[in-house]
Amino acid sequence: MMRNSVWFGCRRWRAALLLVAGCVALFAAVIPAAAQAGDSIILGVVMPISGREGKPGQYQKEGIELAIKQINDKGGITIKGKKYAIKEVFYDDGSDSAKSATLAERAMSSDNATAVIGGYSTALGEAESVMPDRYKTPWITPGAGATSIFSHGYEYVFGALSPIALLGSTTAEFLGSLVDQGKLKKGLKIALAVENTDHGIDYVNGIQDWINKHPGYFTVVFNEKFELGGTDYSGLLQKVKAARADIFLSDAHLQDYITMHRQYLQSGMHHQMISYGARGPEADARKALGDGINYIFAGIWWSGKLPYPQVKQFISDYKQFTGHDPDSWYAATAYDATRLLAQAIQQAGSTDKTKIRDALRKAELKDSLLPGTVLKFGANGQAGYPFVIVQNQPGGKVEIVYPKNGATAEPIAPTP
Amino acid sequence: MSLIDYLDPLVAAVLLAGIYAAMSVGMTVIYGVMKIVNLAHAGLMMMGAYFAYELFERFHIDPVIAAIIALPVFFLFGIAVHWLLVRWLPKSDQPTLSSLLLMFGFWLVLQNVALLIWGNEDRSIFTPMTFSVIQMGPVSIAKVRLIVFVLAVVSVVILQIVLRRSWFGRAVRALIQNPYAAQIAGVDDRRTAMFSFGVGTAFAGFAGALLAMLYSFSPDFGRQFLLRSFVIIVLGGLESFSGVAVGALILALVETFSILFVPASYQPAISYALLVVVLLVLPKGVAGLLEKKWRVA
Repeated sequence: MMRNSVWFGCRRWRAALLLVAGCVALFAAVIPAAAQAGDSIILGVVMPISGREGKPGQYQKEGIELAIKQINDKGGITIKGKKYAIKEVFYDDGSDSAKSATLAERAMSSDNATAVIGGYSTALGEAESVMPDRYKTPWITPGAGATSIFSHGYEYVFGALSPIALLGSTTAEFLGSLVDQGKLKKGLKIALAVENTDHGIDYVNGIQDWINKHPGYFTVVFNEKFELGGTDYSGLLQKVKAARADIFLSDAHLQDYITMHRQYLQSGMHHQMISYGARGPEADARKALGDGINYIFAGIWWSGKLPYPQVKQFISDYKQFTGHDPDSWYAATAYDATRLLAQAIQQAGSTDKTKIRDALRKAELKDSLLPGTVLKFGANGQAGYPFVIVQNQPGGKVEIVYPKNGATAEPIAPTP
Repeated sequence: MSLIDYLDPLVAAVLLAGIYAAMSVGMTVIYGVMKIVNLAHAGLMMMGAYFAYELFERFHIDPVIAAIIALPVFFLFGIAVHWLLVRWLPKSDQPTLSSLLLMFGFWLVLQNVALLIWGNEDRSIFTPMTFSVIQMGPVSIAKVRLIVFVLAVVSVVILQIVLRRSWFGRAVRALIQNPYAAQIAGVDDRRTAMFSFGVGTAFAGFAGALLAMLYSFSPDFGRQFLLRSFVIIVLGGLESFSGVAVGALILALVETFSILFVPASYQPAISYALLVVVLLVLPKGVAGLLEKKWRVA
């Protein structure tokens, strides 16, 4: 009995020793990775490549990785004459807000990333945005555009998307231009159904602002919010139908847009113009709904139809890198956000995070792919370039229809 | 809103009730006979959706036919799952934690298998019928919803006939009413449980295939419908097949009409609220209420 207890005691000590040895080995394996920070710059990337935002998140990840590859192929970032390669530390947040914030925190603390790019979608971006100032680490979101993220006075938070309120006002401005052209009548009624997030609130505010400044053009007869990730929007659409509006404007994410528009088509409704905010031309939507997405228009941050030589080059590089064409705007904003960050690090001449933040405030990407060809951050950290309006047209075409000076086709209005 | 505006939601609610009944009846069969709360029901519905999708994409089989094929295929799958996993569970006349955990684990396995095979992206079945609408005066009915309703109602009626007329049906009802007396009377409880699990799984697969005609789906598909199935079977009285039909109609009417009066963002809360109210006010469901009234009469 006595021998047994001594034996078990020994075993317990051995197990404890093994555990300690295991931990030491684990740390030993991790320490060299952290030490590599000396010859490379660690860039944390937190994106959803699984879950309901998986598709756009994957496109943004591809845009970031293409930019990193191109920078590294050219020798990396030069700081005081020394070349540093960018080393990506990637985390998939699974489209989960809580996980997104935790992973951004991990990238900034445990991984000691020089900067972090993350937060596709407003919900995930909002969750991550509380971390940068806590860890004094520059953070750029290439996929969250709600103004609330940039209104807290955070100093290390930057956004490569123009504000959603501008998307709303550009949408209304485009519809107003159709009235001016005689394609739509004055005084049409608008039904608004938007996601129950700051994104949706900003979108409505943008539209209302434009309508208030241009009386007589449109009136809003229906305005309701819905929860993202729903499977059944038939009740909401029933209310939209009962509102007897002429124009239906929604603000939704990709999956919600596909689900809602499928049910819209099945409800037999018809409006003179339809939009789902920044969603419309995605390949997944055409695959799921076929010609059912024709004539939908969208306000987006980038289009492959923009007439800049760098856009053509990007499309060719992206296709070579990923094996597929860029789908809507997702990859382009992430690509430019990464390039602007690399430029700022080089301008800072240091990997000091505060110096990089200061450089980001002044940085300007002058060969940007985005409308206007210049990407820079405003005083609140958010970019402010113009939107382009695209419309799905028959034959699987996606054309820029607004602004007029950059249009590749005439808008088809009203919807036949 | 005029009276005509209420016609559309009324028709929509009735059509919705059909598919709700088809997706819940399988859970009732399994719960009634085996006292297992089948959390894997959501996963089985998801598999049913992918089954219809694969038949449509690979062999161009119409999803309506695919849904009918799903019945025997998922019945056999259910028998296999019962033989492999469920039969080892300890017998009980109350739901047990082990059965809950087993079915939850099985759901996770199904989800991950689907993720490995089909990936994370949403899929949908798109036929020329998908967007076809029948206009009846002021009411517009999506053809696909009507077809799904007819299929769902026919399948539930056939199941009801089977349960009333066949030996298997009598055995199922006997086990639900009094498992001990049923065994004394010669009902083979193991075999009946195995077939019941097969029938429950068949209806889950069938409902999934029908739902795939209405909604896009991913490996996470079925989660929201699982909650609705719970509400329906609790409303119906857990073990009553006719109660399921009534529960499905009540839930569909409440969901469809409440959205006309409350903001759409509250829609997800409606099912939860109804579940809480029913558990507090009608713990034995509608069937319990009717039973009580008949006794009083």
